[in-house]
Amino acid sequence: MSWEASQFSLADFYYSDSDSPLTPPADYVAWRRDTAWATSLYEPVLCDPAGPINRLRTATGEQRVINMTSYGYLGLVRHPKVIAAAKQALDDYGTGACGSPILSGKSTLYQALEIKLSALTGYPAVLLFNSGFGGALGCAAGLMRKGDVAVVDARAHISMVDGLKVGGAKIAFFEHNSARALDEVLSAHNGARRLIFVDGLYSMDGDLADLPALIAVAESHGVGILVDEAHSFLCCGNTGGGVVEHFGMRAKVGVQYGTLSKAFSCGGGFAAASTDLIDYLRFYANTYGFTCAMPPSVVAAASAVIDVMQTETWRRAQLWENAAYFRTQLQSLGINTGESTSYVVPIVVGENRALLYQLGHQLREHGLFVTPVDYPTVALDQARFRASVTALHTRALLDQALQIIEDVFVPAMREKGLLRARAM
Amino acid sequence: MTREEVLAVVARHLASSVDGLDPKTIDPMRSMKDYGANSLDIVEVVSGAMRELKVKVPRTELNKLTNLDGLVGLLYDIKSNTGELAKP
Repeated sequence: MSWEASQFSLADFYYSDSDSPLTPPADYVAWRRDTAWATSLYEPVLCDPAGPINRLRTATGEQRVINMTSYGYLGLVRHPKVIAAAKQALDDYGTGACGSPILSGKSTLYQALEIKLSALTGYPAVLLFNSGFGGALGCAAGLMRKGDVAVVDARAHISMVDGLKVGGAKIAFFEHNSARALDEVLSAHNGARRLIFVDGLYSMDGDLADLPALIAVAESHGVGILVDEAHSFLCCGNTGGGVVEHFGMRAKVGVQYGTLSKAFSCGGGFAAASTDLIDYLRFYANTYGFTCAMPPSVVAAASAVIDVMQTETWRRAQLWENAAYFRTQLQSLGINTGESTSYVVPIVVGENRALLYQLGHQLREHGLFVTPVDYPTVALDQARFRASVTALHTRALLDQALQIIEDVFVPAMREKGLLRARAM
Repeated sequence: MTREEVLAVVARHLASSVDGLDPKTIDPMRSMKDYGANSLDIVEVVSGAMRELKVKVPRTELNKLTNLDGLVGLLYDIKSNTGELAKP
């Protein structure tokens, strides 16, 4: 990127000054053109199902890469029982639901998935959404109104924040994972109808919500909490019930939100809560009632995943073992992995955003597929690669990935004086 | 345009984003966060002010500022010169 281009980011073009909303800002168009080489790392095209090894389409053909970008943490996307269930649903129920769940889109498969998720979460009722993002947006908008105050962790996912904007509630952010900051923000908005929003596992940082400390503060103020377990459900907790189960907080969390697109490797989302609250969201979370229900094949696949994980618990254990190994090895190279304690592992570059893209291309050329995450998705001085470990990465593959990082990333960072002293 | 006029533009946008804030009471030595603006509000205030002033400053530069006075000074300097940020 040129100096001028690297000074700008997506944060600079949100408000357009063009004459018509149908005309993107001219400086955005020019910036996209100037940064085309750097941002060609985004929207890569895969030639096969997401797995520990993939083939990426390139200008000249295909390239084999170690894939450390997948949300399929438990390696279920090619599971024969899951695929068989989806195929059977196609035969039995066809390609689509052909209706909103409120009007006509629910099938017996759909109802069975609701019941299974209710059992897995421990909540009496569940609402399914055809999109993970959409479901979160719908829940936030459906619960919070103008005059309410949403007390939101500063790193909470944008889907909840967008939903809160739609609902019209005031958004009060608190410092990430800080019980002290939460207490201050709750105190500052005493008297308003309030609800706390946190992620179970932060998708760009890989740390868990400190639910015991945060919920203690919430209870002292008499305020409820919603936990978004998009990246933690099925992977955390003894039975896969998420960070809420991991910390033994089921009885203290008002809404547990999860997705079916990450560890489930399917698509969609769900909210689990009391029967009365779910019945309220049924008609006020518009991304539930005003859109088509999930396709039956996706519903059947998600349902099969729950069955598979009843017996293949080794996947969860392997995921955590792989994550600990990979993260520890990165740290021994002096690499900053942020606050990660999980299978989402940041490889922090820092504020040198041009270096982020240069390294992104070099890592990919050497066969390592990791995602660059730039400002404003993360803080300006925290540009990074987001590496995700899965249960199916073998030790040999992880070692290959680490070798590429040692050969490509470490020398470049050391040359710029950006690497920590090597851990002994 | 004077520096005071630039401050008035920023103060008006801030007051429209923060409930119950009187733009006349805004102290430029304080930050937008001090007045209860969250990070989304700040993007709206800065973007709205830049659009009205017809200047463009990369957000990466704005992140270095600590209070309203710094923002007003930066916008005023650019408005007074070419409308663009000086290159290093």
